[in-house]
Parts: sequence; C-alpha cells; structure tokens
Amino acid sequence: MDILLSPQLLAAALITGVLYALISLGLNLIYGTMRLLNVAHGDLVMIGAYIAFIVFSLFNVGPLISMVGAAIICGGLGWLAYKSIFQNLLSNSEILARLEENSLLLFFGISVVVQNLVILFFTADRQGYEYLSAIVEIGDVRLTGARLAVLIVGSLISIAAVLYLRFSLFGLAMNALIQNRDASAVVGINVDRVQMFSLIIGFGITGLAGALISVLEPITPVMGFPYTMSAFVVIILGGLGNLWGGFLAGLLLGFLEIFGVAVTGPEWRSVLVYGIFIGILIFRPQGLLGRGRVAR
Amino acid sequence: MLKRLLTASLALIGMFGLLGPVQAADTVKIGFSIPKTGLFAPAGPSQLNAYLVWQKMVNDKGGLDIGGKGRRKIEFVQYDDKSDPAQAVKIYEKLITSDKVDLVMAPWGTQHHFAIAPVVERHKFPLIGNTAASVALRKVKPGYLWFTTPMMPDNLAKEMTAMLKSRGVKSVAIMYNLLQFASENIQFLKPALAKAGIAVKFEAKYPPDIKDMTGMLTKIKGANPDAVLVHSYPGDSILYMNQAREVGINAKTQYVMVGPAIGFFRGMFKSNLDGIVTMAAWTPGLKNTTGSQEFYNAYKAMFKGHEPDYLDSVEVFVSAQILEQAIAKVGLNREKIRQAVNSMTFDTIYGKIKFNGVQNSVTPAGFAQIQKGKIEVVWPKQRATSAVVDKGAWAK
Repeated sequence: MDILLSPQLLAAALITGVLYALISLGLNLIYGTMRLLNVAHGDLVMIGAYIAFIVFSLFNVGPLISMVGAAIICGGLGWLAYKSIFQNLLSNSEILARLEENSLLLFFGISVVVQNLVILFFTADRQGYEYLSAIVEIGDVRLTGARLAVLIVGSLISIAAVLYLRFSLFGLAMNALIQNRDASAVVGINVDRVQMFSLIIGFGITGLAGALISVLEPITPVMGFPYTMSAFVVIILGGLGNLWGGFLAGLLLGFLEIFGVAVTGPEWRSVLVYGIFIGILIFRPQGLLGRGRVAR
Repeated sequence: MLKRLLTASLALIGMFGLLGPVQAADTVKIGFSIPKTGLFAPAGPSQLNAYLVWQKMVNDKGGLDIGGKGRRKIEFVQYDDKSDPAQAVKIYEKLITSDKVDLVMAPWGTQHHFAIAPVVERHKFPLIGNTAASVALRKVKPGYLWFTTPMMPDNLAKEMTAMLKSRGVKSVAIMYNLLQFASENIQFLKPALAKAGIAVKFEAKYPPDIKDMTGMLTKIKGANPDAVLVHSYPGDSILYMNQAREVGINAKTQYVMVGPAIGFFRGMFKSNLDGIVTMAAWTPGLKNTTGSQEFYNAYKAMFKGHEPDYLDSVEVFVSAQILEQAIAKVGLNREKIRQAVNSMTFDTIYGKIKFNGVQNSVTPAGFAQIQKGKIEVVWPKQRATSAVVDKGAWAK
C-alpha cells in the first residue's frame, strides 16, 4: 500500500485526469447547449494530433505553439458544421424534438467520413515525433517534458475555460442555454449565436487537446474512438451539461484509473471505471454535480 | 452515312484502346484484402507497402517469370476488409469467383487467415500466409495455406529463455497486453523460465486500451529484476518507453515486443531506444539472405526515405518471394504451385525457407536490438549481426 503515497503516481493521476477533463469539456458544451451527441468527438482529437504532427514535420514547430492552430482549425470546422448542418436543424422545432437521437447517427456518419478522408490523404500508417523528451525532476517526481507540458497546459486551459464559461457574460448565456433553451430566448439571449460559439469553442478545445496528445501516443486515423468513450463517461459522471462537474469527473476518473489500478491490477481497470460509472448512473443518475433533470 | 461509320469505327477503336491494358492476358492478376479502415488500419500499410514494393521490383524486371515461358507483369486487385474477418471472407470469394484473379495473397493478421482458410481450401487457391502467428496455426490442415512466420510463441519462449540465460539473467518482471499473441507468449514463456531457474519477480497483464503504466512500473522498480519483458503493441510500447524513463527502470535487459522495429517509433524515441531488445529477425545487412539490401533500398525509394517495418513488412516480402519462385518453377497452375511450395527450398530475405506441413521449418524465432540507432539481429547467435549488449542509462 506504500505505492499509494507515491508522488509519481499522483502526477500520473493528475495528467490522466486533466486530459480526460480537457477532452470532455467540448463534448459537454455541445451536448449542454444543443443536445447534440457528438460521437465524432474523438475524431477532433485525431485532427488536432495530425495538425500538430504536420506542423512539426514541416516547420519543426512543437505542439505548444501548433495547438493554437489546431484550436483555430477545429473551431473553424465547428463553425462550418454549424452553418452547413446544425443551424437549420436547430431552428426547426419538429426536427429539434428528435435531434438528440438523430445527431448520434449524423455524427457517426461524419466520423466515418472524417476517418476515411484522413486515411486517403495520410494513409492509416502510424505517425509520431519526438518532442520535449528530456526528463524533468520536481522533488521525487520525474516526468518527460512533454507530459509535464500536457499537465500544465491542460490544467490551465481546462480551468480557464470552466471559469470563463461560469463567470463571463457569454459563459453565463451558455449556462442559461444549458439550463433552459426556451427561457434563454425569452430573456433576450441570442440562442443562435450562443449555439454557434458553443460548437466553435467545443471543437476548438478538443482540437487543442489532440495537439497535446500527439506527443503521447501514435497518431492514427482511428486514435479518436477511445477518447469519445472516455469523454462520454466523464460528462455523464459529472452531470450532462455541467462543465464544472465534468472537470471534477475527469480528475476523478484519472485518479480512479491510476490509483485503482495500482491497488487492484491493470486487468481491473475497465471493471473499476465502468463499475463506478454504472453505480453513479443507478444511485445518482443526474451525475455527481447534476441538479436533477436538465430541462431543454 | 460514311461519317457515321467512321465515328462508330473510331469509337470502337477507342474502346479497345481503353480496354486493352485492363485485359488480363498479359498480366497476372493477384488479389488480396487489406485493412484500410477500422481497428487494424494502422497495421495495414506495413503489409500493403511491402506488396507494392514487390510488385514494382518484379514489374521493373519485366514481370513474373512464368515457369521459364516468358514474363507477365503483376496487376493487384485489392479491397478494404474494414478490419473485419467476415468481410475478408466475402472479399476472397469475390476475388476468386467474380474478379477471376489468377492467385491470391494474404490478408493481415491471424484472425483473417483463419477466416479465409476454408475459402482458399474450397477453391484450391494456394496462399502463403504472413503477419499471422499463433501455435493454433499448426492445427490448420496442410493443403493450400502456409505460414512464413518464425515468431511462434513457443519458439519465442525458448529463444528468449536461452538469450536471458546467456546474459546471466536470474530474475525478470513480465508485463503483457491481454491481446491474443502477447498472452500466448506468456503461456509458453513462464514454464520455460521456470525450467531455466529464472525467477519471475513481478507479473501483470493489462488491457489494450491502457493509458498509464506508472503503477506497474513503480512496483517493478521496487522488485529490481535483472530483465523487464514487456509483451506490448505499438501504443502500449510508447507508454512503456515514456514511463519507464520517468520511473527509472534501469534493468540491463529490456524487451519491448512490437514497436521498436517500426520506423515511426524510432523517430519518436531516437537515442532512448538504444539497447532495447525487440521481436525481429531481419536487418538489411543479414548474411546468407537473398535480396535483403535490394528490398530495403526499393522500400526507401518508394516511400520517401521511410524504412520498412522490420517485422511485418519483411514477412510479407518473404511470402511474396516464395510465391514468385514457385511461379518461376511451375508457372501459374495452382495445383503445381501447391506442390512446389510443399517441396521447394526458397531463397528469401529471411534466408533459405522450407515448409514442414504448414510451417516455415527453417527460420528460427529471434530478437533484434537497437544499437546506435540501427537495428541489429542479436539472437539467435548463428544469425546475429551483432552481439546483444546491456541497455545503457536512459538519455536525460
């Protein structure tokens, strides 16, 4: 049990948790404001990773800079998706009533198209690059520079995004939309604009997370799916549409995975993660920080 | 009227002109499925690229030698099996019955080989397998399917134990992915280690989607074994490489099963890979082989300086060389090809190969080590291009 006191394990849990929190943020935002079940979410991680890889290969510029480009490009894709697909669908009350279920199929189709396009342009070959590989020692903790960067940048961006969305005027408008769409329109919130920016910010943050992840694992067109799964677990744990809850749930999942596995063994990982997930669904279906059913 | 006739004639000539190159009479049509999408898509290029290199090398010298009666160029017919064995079955049926290919080559992975075995048997199409490794393959009835891989788990266990003994290793830590091939390796490795008196100080299995190994590695550091044996695939191999450095695993022998032999992996870790042992039995400089350097050069020329995967691409090219030599001996008669594969000795980039039943009975399972950025075959000793050395300290 001494292992539970290991600062190395604490750092690993923080890195895993922060990544989960960062990746789930965009999914939560999009689901919260528009009730869109984006099963192509992980593919945005993949696009962000490819952008970082290409920028590094062509210009020798690392992901700490190219993540800005990844965020802008993925945000642009969010804008494009909103203008070309979702703006019309969300403005039609009949379609809107069925959009939550239908969006799942729609995004599944988008996921297949995106993956195939990436395979077409880059092949399915695994890619990777070396970046900030030197070990940094902080007390008893030793981390590669890349993992430390992921921890710091991921934490800052997650916290900044959650605080912005909680306290800024625009963030409050998003929160209002998350709580009650119809009432938001009544009190003068420009629902169309808030929805569009939710998609842009949601896609952008996820693309940025992808750029950070590009230094941690092989970059492939199919790398996104596990992140889609993790992000769904996190936002359901934290309470659908609850951004702060999602952030805490991401950290909780990271700690559960690292410390739980250290105590029980790695083969128990799925049992632990999904066991807790099912337990929360049974005993607290609104999520850890959810306050009852979120109304549209 | 004359004008119409002229137009129609020109159209007909044009049609024949267009159809001409597609007609199969002067090419050998070879079909296969490949995972271009789905779970195994990242593994597909190692196989497809080697097929394409072989096609180019053969076509550049005028085509396949058809039993000494002239040459015909290779034309590939390939479909995406979406990483689904059931889809591969349909594809091989289509290739044989609808596309009327002359021959077929292997799909990717053990599961796909098992799935299509009944199809090639039923249609009597010889198929030289590659990228498939499991002791269960030996249960396949000898007929139209053969397996080139030397990396059978029982042979690997035997050679691994011998290599560890030769290095004076007294204790090991074992980590392994729950996927079939890795698990099967452990099934044979543990008894072999016990027989050799090598203690297993730590053992852990983990799921394929593992995201962190810090807990396991911290325990391994505490156990302080002489060797760490990680039976991993590229994704988890990357986790090991990053986190073993962080935790400070300093065993003199560190084995990372799949990953270090693939080009992208070496690009990610560069000098930190020095001293890592991996599963591979080939290098361009391997002696007593046929066409190794040519294959290496052709691959690099075709794929913008990228190196072949020293494991999968090599095995794929070996299977192509075997098919090429069988055709050169007996032509395109499939029954004669089957007899030739059963009886001939082939000159390949693995060296001489002969089949005993369905299995390559000559090439031994072996290991390579990254030494100063180059992959060297280090085991077994009779094939080694360099002696196995201690894993030095990780780069800072």
